[in-house]
Amino acid sequence: MTFQTDIDAPLLDVRALRTEFGTDSGTVTAVDGVSFAVHAGERVAIVGESGSGKSAMAMSILRLLAYPGRVTGGAVLLNGRDLSALSERQLSAVRGRLVGTVFQDPMSSLDPVMRISKQMIPPIMRALGLSREVARAEAILWLDKVGIPDAEKRLDAFPFEMSGGMRQRVMIAMALSCRPRLLIADEPTTALDVTIQAQIVEVMKKLTAETGTAMMFITHDLGLVARFADKVAVMYAGRIVEFGPVREIFRTPSHPYTQSLLSTIPSAKALRHQRLAQIPGMPPDMKTPPQGCAFRERCAAAIPRCAQQPPELSPRGAGHVAACWQPEGLTGIVRPECEARVRPGSNRALRDRTMVEINRLTKHFSSPRLLSRKPVPVVKAVNGVTLRVQQGETLGIVGESGCGKSTVARLLLGLEKPTSGEIFTDGLAQMVFQDPSASFNPKMRISAIIEEPLVVKRWGDRAARAARVRHLIAQVGLEEAHLNRYPSQLSGGQRQRVAVARALALDPSVMVADEPTSALDVSVRAQIINLLVDLKEDLGIAFVFISHDLLTVRYIADRIAVMYLGEVVEYGPADEVFDRPAHPYTKALIETVPLPDPVTEATRAPKLLQGELPSPLNLPKGCAFASRCPIVTDRCRAEKPVLRHPMKTREAACHYPHAI
Amino acid sequence: MIDYSLKKFVQLLITVLGVVTLVFFTLRFIPGDAASAMAGDAISGEALELLREQMGLNTPLIAQYFSYLRGLVTFDFGVTITTQLPVSDLILRAVPVTLSIAVLTILLTVTLAIPLGTLAALMAHRGQSGLDNAITGTAMVLDLMPSFWTALVFLLIFSLTLGWFPASGSVSFDNPMEYLKRIALPVLVLSVTQVATMARITRTAVLEVLSEDYVRTARAMGWSEMRVLFRHALKNAALPIVTVIGLSFGNLLNGTVIVEFIFTLPGIGNLLINGINSRDYQMVQTLIVFYALLFVIINFATDIVYRALDPRVRF
Amino acid sequence: MTQDTTNVPNRAEAPGLAIRAAGGLHRMGQGRFLANRKTRLALVILVPILALTAFAPLLPLQGPLETNLGAMMQPPSLEHPFGTDRMGRDILARTLAGVQISLLVGLSVAVLAMVAGIVLGTLAGFFGGFVDRAVMSIVDIFLAFPSLLLAIGLVAVMGTGVIPVIMAIALADVPRFIRLQRSLVLSLRSRAFIDAARTVDAPQAWLMRRHIVPNTVAPMLVAASIAAANAILVEASLSFLGLGIMPPVPSLGNIIRDGQTYLEQAWWISTLPGLVILAIAISFHFLSDGVREALDPRSRQ
Repeated sequence: MTFQTDIDAPLLDVRALRTEFGTDSGTVTAVDGVSFAVHAGERVAIVGESGSGKSAMAMSILRLLAYPGRVTGGAVLLNGRDLSALSERQLSAVRGRLVGTVFQDPMSSLDPVMRISKQMIPPIMRALGLSREVARAEAILWLDKVGIPDAEKRLDAFPFEMSGGMRQRVMIAMALSCRPRLLIADEPTTALDVTIQAQIVEVMKKLTAETGTAMMFITHDLGLVARFADKVAVMYAGRIVEFGPVREIFRTPSHPYTQSLLSTIPSAKALRHQRLAQIPGMPPDMKTPPQGCAFRERCAAAIPRCAQQPPELSPRGAGHVAACWQPEGLTGIVRPECEARVRPGSNRALRDRTMVEINRLTKHFSSPRLLSRKPVPVVKAVNGVTLRVQQGETLGIVGESGCGKSTVARLLLGLEKPTSGEIFTDGLAQMVFQDPSASFNPKMRISAIIEEPLVVKRWGDRAARAARVRHLIAQVGLEEAHLNRYPSQLSGGQRQRVAVARALALDPSVMVADEPTSALDVSVRAQIINLLVDLKEDLGIAFVFISHDLLTVRYIADRIAVMYLGEVVEYGPADEVFDRPAHPYTKALIETVPLPDPVTEATRAPKLLQGELPSPLNLPKGCAFASRCPIVTDRCRAEKPVLRHPMKTREAACHYPHAI
Repeated sequence: MIDYSLKKFVQLLITVLGVVTLVFFTLRFIPGDAASAMAGDAISGEALELLREQMGLNTPLIAQYFSYLRGLVTFDFGVTITTQLPVSDLILRAVPVTLSIAVLTILLTVTLAIPLGTLAALMAHRGQSGLDNAITGTAMVLDLMPSFWTALVFLLIFSLTLGWFPASGSVSFDNPMEYLKRIALPVLVLSVTQVATMARITRTAVLEVLSEDYVRTARAMGWSEMRVLFRHALKNAALPIVTVIGLSFGNLLNGTVIVEFIFTLPGIGNLLINGINSRDYQMVQTLIVFYALLFVIINFATDIVYRALDPRVRF
Repeated sequence: MTQDTTNVPNRAEAPGLAIRAAGGLHRMGQGRFLANRKTRLALVILVPILALTAFAPLLPLQGPLETNLGAMMQPPSLEHPFGTDRMGRDILARTLAGVQISLLVGLSVAVLAMVAGIVLGTLAGFFGGFVDRAVMSIVDIFLAFPSLLLAIGLVAVMGTGVIPVIMAIALADVPRFIRLQRSLVLSLRSRAFIDAARTVDAPQAWLMRRHIVPNTVAPMLVAASIAAANAILVEASLSFLGLGIMPPVPSLGNIIRDGQTYLEQAWWISTLPGLVILAIAISFHFLSDGVREALDPRSRQ
């Protein structure tokens, strides 16, 4: 196979691509005339929320859509050859060899009953025409390159013997080992923890640069885009609304959607006393696509023309296009409820009362087995945690999955019984759960859901309860009409508001929010965060905010507890912890978070945390973080550091708190 | 793996003990007692007492239970009341008939159902519902046909009208061809239901696997649809299918009772019906336990096969 | 069952998930159940059969037990649509009488097994521990028997007739319902809405009544309508084997058994009632598909 190597011709040229899903209730146009180009060696990010059609678009390129998805129009030119005109057999020769693919969920993307070698070696043999032995050596080489320790041995492992991060590395090795010209990565790090996510991104960046492979990277995370991409395409409701070089887009975004999106992210510089900017409403339902511009109902810059005619992409700068009738989008248009604005100062006088006190809390899980000679494995999910929350204060708990932060929340709410230690709560603690689709009984109306705590506690009579429910639904910014609906009839953001209303029903003194925004669309997150902050300020309740999203925690929390393997490793005022971390783990966590600013990202050379979380089943004798710590010494491996005060306002569990 | 098998085997023994106990005590709840139930009104008090003595009904219940257990372990199930032959001899003579029907049915089922189910799944996955609906619809109807009725319809068509197979007659292993001809119709009847069930299960399993992420990965690596189907989809779909083969063995045993009855085949199903009709509780008790044992062992075996096929649980 | 399962960052790219998790009986009120193609197919079969059965005395047929020695072994005709048997009894009349018993058996078994299954399965799943182990080990023993053989064994003990047959089939079905209910309860027990109720110390009876049982009813109904079809087939099999409902009371199974002897001379005696059993079984299956699809539109595949 030969290629014309025309310097200017793009590697991938997508023209007016259209993809439809036939459903019972009509045809959904997931991709509605998308055109863009990827040049050799370029990294192009496709950004969008769920339902924006970004994944469907990426899958359409190689016709990997599952039924009832169907490419119904447009052309996909790879090196000038139209892929959409190829037969399935001809396309098979392109898949894997010219275009490699990495998918979102590493846990399900590898065949569970096949060894890695069986999945990896045959494609290499086929793509590069190598013998089995040479292909095997090649596979080992690639596993090594993506950072799999002991690659030769791991090649014969089964996927289930590896962690999610390791499996994603295998997927990347598999895709790159066939030397594709283009790599399509569909949310490759979304299912992974922050530290692993940073490692994977780094691996992909390095290896595609090394091999000159172009890359199309689908994501909803603007921070990753800033760290990673040369160019960005922003998708909304099946169309590209803005496309251009990454610095251009972040410096002078010109589509209202891009502009709003960038302003909703709590940035490192964001002032904590400012309300976040937010986008009103929610993304459109693609089953009933709106006439005209799909964003107009959420757009402050909308003019009558937007309702009549959808705008086409038009130039905004060098290689920068946007689809908006307003040349500068929202610039110069003020819409108060959407703007970032200063919040009234919080009442600090309240803070002398301790609302939550947790002392030396531990929680061990074990599953004793009958008929087994092996010792019972014990998972030390929470291992001696001591925390305080004052009235009107927000405590942020951050850490990777498995660090025990959610278990602390469950213990605090009384959903689990502690193995040892004490929890004191002044008044009632209530919780907002992570997944708004699972946290309501689908058989109950919203009114019954909000009323439930009142009924259980025999609060008031029927009329009083109904009045209270109406008060609560208004307090969280919903309408009384919502009370008669079922949870399935609300959007994710609306459901999370209902969850807040339910948690407020009994006037709690402590509110625990466990990842309350992580299941929500990016454009809706700011709404919920603003709601929570407003309520905290208005009601003066103590808040425990649990998240893996450091930027949000920094924005919302007064104090921060960083957890690692069931222990608090650092504890102190939010700004101090972020600005001058005293524990190497905190420092590493902060460094791994990609910032939504390509200029900053380019100058950052993050020292990434190496390795993965050790198994909580057999914790090391010394410092739990020793296996991943950049400044580890023999003392750390032998002697466990306790939480102490290296600085006046702060606690850290490290032998060398001043070394970083 | 060995650990797991041992553990499962211990569980099996406990279940079997439960089965035996349940059957023993349930039969003791018959109004009057087994002897009078067996004898009916035809027997005088003296003869009845003799029968009781012979059946050991005059000893305490718990002693009867233990002597019954001892009998099971030593393969001594007593003698039948009608012919005074050892129950174990009768069962041993009947087992080959039933097993040969069952084994042939399973072979026929697997060879027909798995390709059909896979084909239907493939069509459904591509959105070509015509052939899929035809296969699924036919399977549903066949699955729900009462097997005794299917047997009569087949008998009417293939034996009485077309004369291809004998409807009755002696059964002997001496002439294998004759024997096969004799059990061909029963096997066909049983296969109708079995193929239908298995094809539907295969379709569901394969269809589910086809929409798995790793199938998409294989396609994204450039493998043809057929290679993906054989190397990935069927291998993974085999796991649920194996489980269902085990479970549908129960239905197969149900079916053998009916076809043996209709085609007058001297298998254990016929023994059971005759036992009930002649109120031979010694026989009935032993046979019910025997069926349960067979079923439990098959499920144990499929469980072990499942473990062997799935590397995730093998370790 | 280790700690943070909540920390899977934004996997929001599954819009159908919410629909699948939600939905419920209230949806059926919105006409989705009746609008369902399979439901309508089921009703097209079932309604005429039910009507004929209910109004059988009004039809110009002789009584199901009435003999007419002048019209023995008549093939199907206008006067005897299903023909007559060796005693000149009308097969259609007997079949319709048999359908009554079939439906009685089917519905009784479904209701009995479902209720027992919900009660015992909920207790086992919700309380776990000793209750669970006790219930489930008995369930395991019952599940060790092939179902028809268990029913045969039970009628051998309890005797023949409608009530023993219903009891035997229901008893053989209950373990399956317990198992299903228990697994439903177990998966519901860890859902966040249970946790939410527990944070206000809702009593266990409240959790079961308000949150657990209402969410298990729909899948149990699906299972129950399959169990009804199955019970009708098992009753017919038992009666066919001479262990269920005994002549002269007509049941679909014993009508077919009667005809077996005359298969060569009078094919209609056995074959036509069998078609009726098949039709009823199919319609119950369609009904269960209809319920399932109305509750979960994505299950259609």
